[in-house]
Amino acid sequence: MTDKKVVVSVKDVHKTYTETKVPVKALRGVTLEIKQGEFTAIVGPSGSGKTTLLNIIGGLDRPTSGEILVDGTDLSQLSDNKLIDFRKTHIGFVFQSYNLIPVLTAKENVEFVMLLQNVAQQKRDQRTKELMEAVGLGDRMHNRPSELSGGQQQRVAVARALAPKPAFVLADEPTANLDSASTANLLDIMSRLNQQEGMTFVFSTHDQRVIDRARRVITIEDGKVLSDIRK
Amino acid sequence: MLLKIAWRNIWRSRTRSLVVIGSVVIGIWALLFLLGFFRGQIDNYISNIIENQTSHIQIHDSIFKSDFEVRLFMPDAGVIENELVKNDAVKAVAKRLLINGMLSSAATAQGVMLKGVDIEQEQSVTRLMDKIIEGEGFQADKRNQILISRRTADKLKVNLRSKVVMTFQNVHGDITTAAFRIAGIYKTSNRVNDELYVYAAIADIRRLTEIPEAGAHEIALLVNNFEQTDQFATSLKAKYPQWKVETYKEISPDLELFNSQIRVNMIIMTVIFMLALIFGIINTMLMAVLERMKELGMLMAVGMNKARVFIMVVLETIFIALIGAPIGMLLGIGTTKYLNKIGINLSNWSRALEEFGMSEIVRPVVNSETIWTITTAVVITAVLASIYPALKAIKLKPVEALRKI
Repeated sequence: MTDKKVVVSVKDVHKTYTETKVPVKALRGVTLEIKQGEFTAIVGPSGSGKTTLLNIIGGLDRPTSGEILVDGTDLSQLSDNKLIDFRKTHIGFVFQSYNLIPVLTAKENVEFVMLLQNVAQQKRDQRTKELMEAVGLGDRMHNRPSELSGGQQQRVAVARALAPKPAFVLADEPTANLDSASTANLLDIMSRLNQQEGMTFVFSTHDQRVIDRARRVITIEDGKVLSDIRK
Repeated sequence: MLLKIAWRNIWRSRTRSLVVIGSVVIGIWALLFLLGFFRGQIDNYISNIIENQTSHIQIHDSIFKSDFEVRLFMPDAGVIENELVKNDAVKAVAKRLLINGMLSSAATAQGVMLKGVDIEQEQSVTRLMDKIIEGEGFQADKRNQILISRRTADKLKVNLRSKVVMTFQNVHGDITTAAFRIAGIYKTSNRVNDELYVYAAIADIRRLTEIPEAGAHEIALLVNNFEQTDQFATSLKAKYPQWKVETYKEISPDLELFNSQIRVNMIIMTVIFMLALIFGIINTMLMAVLERMKELGMLMAVGMNKARVFIMVVLETIFIALIGAPIGMLLGIGTTKYLNKIGINLSNWSRALEEFGMSEIVRPVVNSETIWTITTAVVITAVLASIYPALKAIKLKPVEALRKI
């Protein structure tokens, strides 16, 4: 694995929330690297700081101190608008509660980010079709999210995250709202994409089924890396 | 895609959107009706004044109107009259003699202004015959006939065919008295005028005052194209520099004041209506934004920049206004047009209206000015109403927004 490209590099990151009355130190010096093609689970009890870490890696939040490099770019150097553009092209997001755009069909949801990137119609259509088939929803292109099950919606979300060909996909508790069959199905799809296409996945999770499938498990507790195990 | 999302977002809370759209529809409908009603009243007022009092243009001796002296007639009035009749821009001309005097009956007397008129000319300019409510008007073979108003008849306690005596000065300054038979009783919607004016044939008055054949105190005319009144008056002023040529606006400056006053009122009313609409729309859009915090956070997380989020919310707001506005506009125009046809009967207030010289039937009018005013106002309203919710939307931080349930 050492010869693979480093996708995410986190160096001594601290995050203190000062909006609260008592400042909360969510991260106290986290350092880690995630390389291309890894299938990593970030685990830890609630309040451990794993969501904070994920947000910071995803460019949704900024650290109080420390350095984040994604694909070689220092996120702290980017303005808010540049950061939005950076997320658009480099990072795919899968959220716990799917967060699809309810007024768009599955196909349009997947297409959406490519549209923001001004990808040509033909290319969009082709990529959308590929991805929808990859997540096993080739026949559900024109359904709206409300017409899909939770598992199906989350698969659409995975397809959407992959659409702009990001450097890696961040998934925040992607299986938390899914039953075991959907969870297994989603994990199958994600690990297939990981193995076949070399897509890098980073999850935060509580879910033992996800942890079991991960090839690397980073445990966070009290804002620090407690253990980092590669299987 | 933004258009599509914005459009579909409107129909997510169908009821809520319909309520706002409905308020836009009703607001614009009501506004159009009100503005149309006011416009109708102004037009009514102006046309009443023009028809009964000023015509479009009048010509007098330059100081005649300060004192109404009998001797201040225009000796060449007949020539001017003939020239005007031949002019294509002129619709109708009436030549008049105006005599201040005292009209007496057995019961009492009243100061009046006697207008010596050619009844046919008068009919084409002021439609005098149409206003006669009793009697036949002047008979061709009879002398010294007079038309007085219902009010004057009541005041003098006289009836149709009663005899009244008119006392006035002739052109030499001598007091002259003549008896007239009441040939008709008229009524207009203007109380003040009704009490003031009585009408007799110009030939009788000419004989009694000894004003020569071609002479007259007043020439009143209607032009074919109302819009060109000022222009035509200017050309007449150049042509007859010795006489005073005045448009209805110059004769009755209160018309212009009234007109601009009402226009200001219309703008104030539009602003009030639109303010009410703005708050309704802001309220709804704010709700729409706040309940979609998570979704907006997600949109920003996956790379939708602030400008696009802003535009999306603005578009949603504008759509709501743009759906409502044409419907309200059509309803408003339809209602106004219909009411213009049948007229709104305000006869319950006719006494008060007569004091102001307005008739009791108001015909609301929508003109392009009203429509433009409202269209502009709606667009401004929609844009203003969209700004606050859109600002609220782009102030969201994706992380915080995503955390909200």
